[in-house]
Amino acid sequence: MTEGKKKAKSGWSRRDFLRTAGVAAATIAFPEIIISCGGPSGGGPTAAVPKPRKGASIRLLQWNSFVKQADAEFKRQMVEWGDANGVTVAFEGVSGDQLQPKTAAAVESNSGPDIIQMQYGWPQLYTEACLDVSNEVNLLISKLGKPDPVNEAFCRVNGTWRAIPYTIVPNAWTYRTDYFQQAGVTSFPKTWDELAAAAPKLKATGKPIAQTDGHAYGDSLTMWNPVLWGFGGKEVNADGKTVAINSKETRDAIKWAQGAVKNGFVVHPEWLDPDNNQAYHADRISGTLNGASIYIREKIEFHKYTDVTNNAPMPSGPKGTFAMNLIFNHAVMKWSPDAETAKALILHLMEKDQYLKWTTVASGYNAGPFNAFHGDPVFRSDPKLKAFEDVVAPGKWPGWPAMPSKKTAQAQTQYIVADMFAKALANGGTGDMEAAVKEAESRLKAIFERPG
Amino acid sequence: MGTATRRVDSVPVWYQRRVRIYDREAPLGYLLLVPTLGILGIFLLYPFLFGMWLSVTDSELGTLGKFIGLGNYRFEFRNTDGVFYGAVANTFLYTGVTTVFKLGLGLVMALLLNQVFPYRRFVRAALLLPYIIPTVLSYEAWRWMFDPTFSVMNWLLVHTHLVPYPGPDWLGVPANAMAALIIVNIWRGAPFYGISFLAGMQVIPLDLYEAARVDGASRWQQFTSITLPMLRPILLVVLLLSTILTFADFQGPFVLTNGAPYNSTQLLAIWAYQWGIPGGAIGLGAAISLVLFPLLTVVVAGVLFLLRRPE
Repeated sequence: MTEGKKKAKSGWSRRDFLRTAGVAAATIAFPEIIISCGGPSGGGPTAAVPKPRKGASIRLLQWNSFVKQADAEFKRQMVEWGDANGVTVAFEGVSGDQLQPKTAAAVESNSGPDIIQMQYGWPQLYTEACLDVSNEVNLLISKLGKPDPVNEAFCRVNGTWRAIPYTIVPNAWTYRTDYFQQAGVTSFPKTWDELAAAAPKLKATGKPIAQTDGHAYGDSLTMWNPVLWGFGGKEVNADGKTVAINSKETRDAIKWAQGAVKNGFVVHPEWLDPDNNQAYHADRISGTLNGASIYIREKIEFHKYTDVTNNAPMPSGPKGTFAMNLIFNHAVMKWSPDAETAKALILHLMEKDQYLKWTTVASGYNAGPFNAFHGDPVFRSDPKLKAFEDVVAPGKWPGWPAMPSKKTAQAQTQYIVADMFAKALANGGTGDMEAAVKEAESRLKAIFERPG
Repeated sequence: MGTATRRVDSVPVWYQRRVRIYDREAPLGYLLLVPTLGILGIFLLYPFLFGMWLSVTDSELGTLGKFIGLGNYRFEFRNTDGVFYGAVANTFLYTGVTTVFKLGLGLVMALLLNQVFPYRRFVRAALLLPYIIPTVLSYEAWRWMFDPTFSVMNWLLVHTHLVPYPGPDWLGVPANAMAALIIVNIWRGAPFYGISFLAGMQVIPLDLYEAARVDGASRWQQFTSITLPMLRPILLVVLLLSTILTFADFQGPFVLTNGAPYNSTQLLAIWAYQWGIPGGAIGLGAAISLVLFPLLTVVVAGVLFLLRRPE
């Protein structure tokens, strides 16, 4: 008591001053600390928990998962919560490539579903249409720990949470162990150079390693961005303004890709996202980069190549190991007449017990976006799924190292990186590299130097 | 007479005026046009004017922007990335080639269907199928047929020894991909031409052909001197509609190639979509989609002039 009085009299103690000054200096020097700690509105006991309104109706729009059982479980949880709270809930599923046109139509008409699944940088594109959900994210942070940096980068626009982190769809390599053995490749390549060296051996078996370099909204991005980063290339500098694609590092990445294709790594500019899955299930290829759906469907549905299928994380390049995963988050839309109910529904679905039930049914296709979901038992249930857990940590976003923005989203949706590789990989890997790099540079400049 | 006058006097003035309007052709005509004009105004004029307004603003999806004059148009015309000009060239190529083939095939189709043969009605109905099936479904089926892994066309070509295994890469090579787009558009559009021309041919009086035959005209002469001139109004209208629709074609090319490989099949409609919808720059997207509007206006005016011109 006496001590307390003393403190009140003398103001700050030396220790208080040093602590505060230290935090302030560190914050100025390393603003990322603020990001990773949840920012000034960190989770706390003052956060208000949204309450559902009895009689409300909530419509949620998201993509149809490649693992149908996961959607069924998600719907079951929604309905269960709706019944318990007197809320009518509706799940509207659309194919992945239809989700953005539907979202855009809703945003433009200022009406539509109460909750929309945001893929990649959509919160940056549709910021004004997404309600501030900082309170709800802080509630989740207080319960589940830090969010994944990639989910956070997409969800947090100018310091405000515009979407609630939902899930990561890890992308790793799925390959046929029997063809690899037949080719004399004992394990999946650990570096891009090893992959290029393995390609001709696999091609000789008649079952090449193959991937898209076309306009596939998922697989093209998850393949060619990590290759670019692995060799030190980038579309734009960290300032998000200076286009940096025209570099020696980009050329190194393209040279690797051209060498790999000449060796026998097969690229398909015409493939969309489902095509490599189908080619694998039809026994046409020995390996491809994808979400866990190929392996899961083999295991659950087809049972043809389950025993001879394995998965491997991303190979490393000279500048490190990088991955790009599909990142999904949920936004509560500003036109929702029952936004509080919508927020309450999302919070329920993100509760640890509920969420882990869902990831268990998803069988390794989805990883959780908060610390509490690290070490999800589903990835321990089958050693072959470990690769999908391993690719979460090195995950980045399109446009990295710049923070996600409207500009990075536009560059992504115009497939600039994939087009650059595709152009250079035309005619069996003999395309014009210089023309490809220059075209990518001028397309990126058109986006990043455009006002607005 | 007195009774009649009294009866007219007893009718309210507003009713008398209404009757007078009904009795006069011109006001009645305008009156009857009002519902149609209303519908056209709501569903055509408003979206068109709104699109024009968007094209001169910096609007983003969900946010109405401010007026920037011709900024969006300048941006695309001065852009050096090559995609925009590539899309313009591709759009002209796509429209030009498909229109010529659809016109030729449509005429042949109509001439054949105009003959008497068994199951004629069934064949006529069957030929309309490509036009009736929802675009996305038929293009998905074509995508499947063009797929290098599962292509039924390649299977046929390889097994009939017309091409070596694995057959053409239909959608993975720029020239092939553009050819594939053109083939599917012709497949889908030719029946529309055919049925429209057939309708036109069926109202040509048969005695014209009989007279020509009596005069010793050959079949070719009958075609060029009777069929084609009599078909001229329908031919021009079909050509006009088809050109406009093909210029703005989106669904099919989007499903089939979405501009790939590396924008070699990029069309203006898809490019406008990529900026406007996934890219969120709705103002710029609107400007790209309206770039060809002046040119199309000239085309429409030309065709309308030809239609009104006497023989």
